[in-house]
Amino acid sequence: MFHNVTKVYNGRVTALDHVNFEIPRGATVALLGPNGAGKSTAIDTMLGLRKPTSGEVRVLGMTPAAAVAAGKIGGMVQTGGLPDGAKVSELIALFRQLYHGRRSQADLLRLAGLTDIADRRVEQLSGGQTQRVRFALALAGRPDLLFLDEPTAALDVEARRSFWQSVQAIAGQGTTVLFATHYLDEADANASRIIVVSHGRIMADGTPSQIKAYTSVRTIRFSTPAPHTSALLRLPRVNEVVASGEAVTIRSGDADATLPALYALGMPVRGLEVGGGGLEEALIALTGDGGVAAGAADLGEQAERAAAVTNSSDMTRVG
Amino acid sequence: MIAFLRFEIVRTLRNARFLIMLIAFPVLLYLIYAKQHGTSQGLTVATLLLVSMAVYSGMGSAMFASGPQLARERHNGWMRQLRISPITTPGWFAAKLVQSVLMIIPGLAVLVVLALTYGHVHLAGGRLGTLVVIIVVGTIPFCAAGLVIGLMFDSQTAQVAQMITLLVLAFLGGIFISWSSLPSGMQTVGKLLPSYHLAQLGWNAAAGRPLGMSHVAALAAWTVGLGAIAAWRWRQESTAA
Repeated sequence: MFHNVTKVYNGRVTALDHVNFEIPRGATVALLGPNGAGKSTAIDTMLGLRKPTSGEVRVLGMTPAAAVAAGKIGGMVQTGGLPDGAKVSELIALFRQLYHGRRSQADLLRLAGLTDIADRRVEQLSGGQTQRVRFALALAGRPDLLFLDEPTAALDVEARRSFWQSVQAIAGQGTTVLFATHYLDEADANASRIIVVSHGRIMADGTPSQIKAYTSVRTIRFSTPAPHTSALLRLPRVNEVVASGEAVTIRSGDADATLPALYALGMPVRGLEVGGGGLEEALIALTGDGGVAAGAADLGEQAERAAAVTNSSDMTRVG
Repeated sequence: MIAFLRFEIVRTLRNARFLIMLIAFPVLLYLIYAKQHGTSQGLTVATLLLVSMAVYSGMGSAMFASGPQLARERHNGWMRQLRISPITTPGWFAAKLVQSVLMIIPGLAVLVVLALTYGHVHLAGGRLGTLVVIIVVGTIPFCAAGLVIGLMFDSQTAQVAQMITLLVLAFLGGIFISWSSLPSGMQTVGKLLPSYHLAQLGWNAAAGRPLGMSHVAALAAWTVGLGAIAAWRWRQESTAA
């Protein structure tokens, strides 16, 4: 679907750098990455809103323009505004007609949670409501392939939950869904596959559990009077040991396996802390920068990040 | 396309303030000047001014119906949303053109009624009918001009660009002041403008003179030229960026 695509803006900024991926029909896939990673560019290219500088993009076996003209794809683009003066119901009715009524008005209002505000004028809507209207428009054609570019950015917790319920219902009907997000939990909870993007490159591509397996790397910190580095290195699943005076930092692939063995050594261990894990850490590690949502970046974690980057090459092979 | 056209008209009509402002200025001018005595080009002032104001109101309505709104919606992303819907480019252009032409009608209707009552204009039914058709069809190049402005300028400058264009068209085209009283250099420029040709057609129709095919040809040429620029800008925007 996405073959060796490069997109260069103004001959300078490379938004996509020889990106390749293919998405099987019926899958729900997340494009996960920090802002400026190239997620929106990738989606815009697949919707035919931008032309790649080089490479080829095919959606549903055709060019994006042909798929759009045939009404086979639907999209929620990041900066998709709505026209002043229109009512929600009129806007949805218009899109239903453009797609020859493939989904009923009531269905669309319900799926996007708009039934109560159908008579509201577009300019009176809140950011979250506007976003839900754009979701309804994207669904109007009962698309085979649905693109959602940061679809929940303006939604509150409750709206976000019902939004994903609707997406799952639609995916259940066989629609292929590709969504971009920088919310890691969202990718984890809603996608069967996660493609991690950063700086226009694919950093990792796998199932959420594969991505999470990678994130199971934990940092174990403690202090002990005389650290015995080589013994620590032989503990199960330990990748790296750094000792500095009394302070010891161990990087382990499975803290649950390492910790009992550590205590079994009989060495006095004080102030033990286990850190790391979770998709956020993984993303920081994979993308090699702190530009991610909750990017914690104190000095201690800088080292952690650097270590994890070396491992990221393994991850790409997994995908 | 019909669905889109209806949608566009409904939401534009809802913006009544905008419609009233479009009509108010030429109507006010008509009320001020129509009672003056005298004749020019074989027409009474009231008749002459009916044509001028109808042309002015037609140009303004046609351009404002498309230009600034289009610029705003390119900016806010609505055009992106439309581009990923199955609406075709020719369908979109056709709807915008029809919408602009329909926008002309309220202003024209008010001016004609005013002329017949307040202005005591007596025009044979045939002449009046020809005049109305000329104004409605003759404003098509201005719809195209509105689209060009909407596609060339951003949302903040489109309004100003539109206003300046409209005033230049009105002054140099001989609508606000007699074309023959312009300096000769400006006359030369004015004679090229579509506003000049539309006004000439209108006055000829009102006076019962032959319309003049050169004016029709000039308006057609402007339509084709501006239409081509709009289409080019549209394509450029949908493929580049």
